[in-house]
Amino acid sequence: MRRIFLGGTAVLLAVAAAACSSSSSTTTSTTAPASSGPKEGGSLTVLEATGYSGDWPDGLDPATNIDGAADQDYMDAVYGELFELGPKGAIIPDLATGSSISSDAKTITLDIRPGVKFTDGTPFNAAAVVWNIDRDLKSACTCKPTWPVTSVTATGPDTVQIKLSAPDGAFIDEIFDSTADWIASPTAVQKMGEKAFAVKPVGAGPFEVVSDTLSSVLVLKKNPGYWQAGRPYLSTLTFKSVASDEAGYEALLAHEGQVYVDMSTPSLLEEASKSSSLEVENQLSTSPYDLQLNTKIAPFNNPKARQAIYAATNFGPILQHVFDNMYPSVQGFTGPGGICYSPTVPGYQGYDPTLAKSLVQQSGLNKVTINLGTIQNLVAQETTEALQTEWAAVGIKTTIHDYALAPLIAQFVSGKWQSMIQTAGSYDPAAGVGVGFRFSSTSPFSGVHDPHLDSLLNQAAALTSLSQRCAIYNQAADYIAKQYYGPFYFAFAPANVAVKGVVGPGLTQPLPAVVVTPTILWEDVAYGS
Amino acid sequence: MSAPLPELLAPGAAVERAAVRPRARGGLARGLRLWLPAGFLILLLGACFIWPNVYPVPNPVRGSVLQSGLPPLSPGHIFGTDPVGNDVFSRILYGGQVSFEVGFAVTAIGLVIGSLLGIAAGYWGGVTDTIISRVLDVLIAFPALVLALAIAEGLGPSEVHVIWALSVFSIPAFGRIARGATLALREQTFMLASRLSGTRGWRVILRHIIPNVMPQLMTFSLLGVGVAIILEGALSFLGLGIPLPEASWGSMIAQGQQTLSASPDLVLIPSAFLFATVVSLNLVGDSLRERWANPIGQSR
Amino acid sequence: MAVAEQTAREQAEPGARAGLARRALGSPSLRYAGRRLLAAIPVLWGVTFLTFVVMNLLPGDAAQELLGANATPAEVHQLEVQLHLNEPFWVRYGGWLGGVFHGSLGTSVVNSENVTTILGTRLPVTAELLLYAFVASIALAVLVAILAARKPNGVVDRLSMVVSMTGLSIAPYVLALVLVYIFAVRIQWFPAIGYTSLTANPVENIKSLTLPAISIGFPLFSVYTRLLRADIVEQMQREDYIVTARAKGVRPWRILIRHALPNSMFGLITLVGLNLGTLVGATAIIEPIFSLPGVGAILIQSIDDHDVPVVEGIVLVFGVVVVVANLLADLLYTALDPRIRYERSAS
Repeated sequence: MRRIFLGGTAVLLAVAAAACSSSSSTTTSTTAPASSGPKEGGSLTVLEATGYSGDWPDGLDPATNIDGAADQDYMDAVYGELFELGPKGAIIPDLATGSSISSDAKTITLDIRPGVKFTDGTPFNAAAVVWNIDRDLKSACTCKPTWPVTSVTATGPDTVQIKLSAPDGAFIDEIFDSTADWIASPTAVQKMGEKAFAVKPVGAGPFEVVSDTLSSVLVLKKNPGYWQAGRPYLSTLTFKSVASDEAGYEALLAHEGQVYVDMSTPSLLEEASKSSSLEVENQLSTSPYDLQLNTKIAPFNNPKARQAIYAATNFGPILQHVFDNMYPSVQGFTGPGGICYSPTVPGYQGYDPTLAKSLVQQSGLNKVTINLGTIQNLVAQETTEALQTEWAAVGIKTTIHDYALAPLIAQFVSGKWQSMIQTAGSYDPAAGVGVGFRFSSTSPFSGVHDPHLDSLLNQAAALTSLSQRCAIYNQAADYIAKQYYGPFYFAFAPANVAVKGVVGPGLTQPLPAVVVTPTILWEDVAYGS
Repeated sequence: MSAPLPELLAPGAAVERAAVRPRARGGLARGLRLWLPAGFLILLLGACFIWPNVYPVPNPVRGSVLQSGLPPLSPGHIFGTDPVGNDVFSRILYGGQVSFEVGFAVTAIGLVIGSLLGIAAGYWGGVTDTIISRVLDVLIAFPALVLALAIAEGLGPSEVHVIWALSVFSIPAFGRIARGATLALREQTFMLASRLSGTRGWRVILRHIIPNVMPQLMTFSLLGVGVAIILEGALSFLGLGIPLPEASWGSMIAQGQQTLSASPDLVLIPSAFLFATVVSLNLVGDSLRERWANPIGQSR
Repeated sequence: MAVAEQTAREQAEPGARAGLARRALGSPSLRYAGRRLLAAIPVLWGVTFLTFVVMNLLPGDAAQELLGANATPAEVHQLEVQLHLNEPFWVRYGGWLGGVFHGSLGTSVVNSENVTTILGTRLPVTAELLLYAFVASIALAVLVAILAARKPNGVVDRLSMVVSMTGLSIAPYVLALVLVYIFAVRIQWFPAIGYTSLTANPVENIKSLTLPAISIGFPLFSVYTRLLRADIVEQMQREDYIVTARAKGVRPWRILIRHALPNSMFGLITLVGLNLGTLVGATAIIEPIFSLPGVGAILIQSIDDHDVPVVEGIVLVFGVVVVVANLLADLLYTALDPRIRYERSAS
């Protein structure tokens, strides 16, 4: 089944981290295991669906892996991360110990954990980090970080200094969303050559590679020299690619795997929840589904037409009947896993069929057929079909198109699209597929060209105080609702399904999503049946 | 004489050459074997094409999401609803329309174009034969899946494009059968006689060849319809056939597959209809072939 | 490839009638084989050329697919130049064809891996799967056909007809889904997904390929059984030499196996040769269902990605297989046929 998960779009686009600022937050909480101690030495097989995370056709080199964040599970297991996003949104220093940011938010200092070695025995130090970030920035990959970096230097054996040409206080928020979070062994890359390295990467993470069949099976074993004593709990970790949610579910039932990552099919989640041998862990969404309206061309250049759409949509029943009320309904671009979560927007135009009908008449929306597009994925498809039905009740005719990635991009680029169901938002609205991506006038994937909104977003990006930034993001959400630029529906995040006996963050504890999906902290996962 | 190759393509083709099933009981069993499946097909065709126009059925694509995921035998939805609320029974009917339309269209195209090519190659031989045979060879060796995918990708999935794509399969198949049958006929004395008497090529073809290869081609057609229906299902299963949300048995199976553990009926119901239809077509084809090969007295 | 017709013409050549061994090694056979091989080359060329044309008619190209969303038209163009995608059609096809004659199938546009390497790792999986499906279906078909033909309209015969009618009418993807659900999830005799290589663990390897092989093989088995059975029965009842043999008191089983069966086999063999070509499609559907890392699994993805070298590589390999298989079938047909004709005319 070809299934290009919505997050696929998000991924490829996400690593374009916009320049913005936020306060530097380095909480040093660690996820402590239960006092009775998780079982050590377990062997875990994790299943991932093709079409998104289950593919790694280019290998696992951070500088060349186009699939970037989609493959974060494998990258995290092999490389570890400089900073991790943990439960309750805590930023956990992993291979870095801390960071600081200058007052003008243009110089960032990273403290690297001392005494760490890559699995090939070479030292993991500031020089290695600098080498990696340089390489990432210079790479031709669309996955590369897009910070406006002027220089990256090692100012000490364990300190890295990054200078930017524009302020970015959200740098750390953006780093665990980017390939710079994964540090490869420079010696190994140079010795093996890029192609061989991509297939058998060498990092300093909790696991090392035993064998790798691209986009099929990745076998890892515990890194005996891992910096954190007593971790990882697992002795072997195997990743296998499966065709779909259903295939993954069947494989779990057939004991061919213990974890299935990113299940989103509602009826299967229901089955899994009812099963006595499985645990379903819903993650905390950071990217709500929204309906983008192209305000540049008819019919949605007319605010009344846009308002009609708001008034014609009753998402409650859709949430209930199609998605079993699994996800919270939201009116803005923030989700419960993100930093500025605010589910309601005052004055948001809600469901009002009478108003909708009259607006439809007034704006002439009943005289045209609307083009509603989305990416090919089950959740998106069901959403569009449900909307089509609801809108028909107030006189709006719609045709639905499910696009694969390239035609979807072509639609946006051509400017001829009218409405698109997409996700918007990220852990930090400034990062990845955040707000600007869908709502700023400079983004090719935005239907909005409004200087006032642009200035709000840029303002929020330039500030360092979290509370100030969130206040401005709330203003932005208000403004979007007032201008009817696009209704938001629900904060979707896929769930992880595991057999009983598996414990860990992301599997028995919810994690906020990084780009649509969270990064499971594999070193803290244990399995004992 | 050894069987001409193309005939091997039709399973049970040997039935034509021999009285393989001497019927002690004759009439009744033989009649049942034809009329039971034929009756089912006629009923199904009626249901798919006539029923929706005469008696209201729920819309196959505008299901209300408030009715999603209902199990079979729910009030108003005898086969239940799919995850978006579309009525499964009505999707079966409309999907059946698509299956039959594609099946018959592909077979008709193959029958007409393929047979003409095959007959021409068999009758005139020589250069004509070489060229046509090579072309047919290429089409057969060519992975038609690539072509079908390409057409769907390039032109967008639609019923018409599926028909084009599948015709690439059916034309060479008919071509070979027709060619083989023509070659076999050519050696027969009545053919020799007509050639000696100076009858022109086209008249020979029209008056002698076509009527004699027709039975073979017709029975192969019925099998071909079944194959085409399965292939349309395969293309829709891959997402390259009839586009969602329009109904097609193949895409219903594909959709149902995604929730097989939760609602197996979404796969089983369209699969059952697909199976029953193809079995019936095959049984009718077999029966007809048997009759034409060895009629029993005055049996109907 | 009109086997019978060509064969018939060949038989008219003098010196074509001889003992089996001499026939196989005699020059008419070799000349025939040589001629068939030569005829096969334009077919192969036609197939690859047609594929190239089709792939090029697709909108978009690999560069756009690779760079995805973030790319500006300038970036796409740059990558196109890098990947030689902006060169005219003939240059690209010529380049690929030239590469083939030098033994290189090019590199994947998507991940710069050698197409030969990609095929090298994936072909064994698909080859083993198809071999398994074919061998099992032919062996079972022979067995069932003999048993059925022994007593036409007997119990075994009727049962075999029902089973083969089922196999003919069921869609492979439906069969695969049902098999997985019953045998992998509910009963857990076989794995639902994944592939273990032959060298790693032969038993697991066979287990991991059984359900997929059945999905592909059951329809094949059905076709072959019907064909063989009908052919054998016809011979048993019609052919003079068999009637003579029975009159002489030769036991029926002996006749079945030593005479009727071999004569029926080459009909089967030619059919097998034909089937091979259509199996690309079958593997493309079945392999993803079972997560087998074979050639079919990447075929669709490669077409989506506009990865022309990989698609061409797959098409070429399958084209060669089809052509070679048909050639072998032709030769076998030729080798076996005159012995029968000799026997027939003698009786």
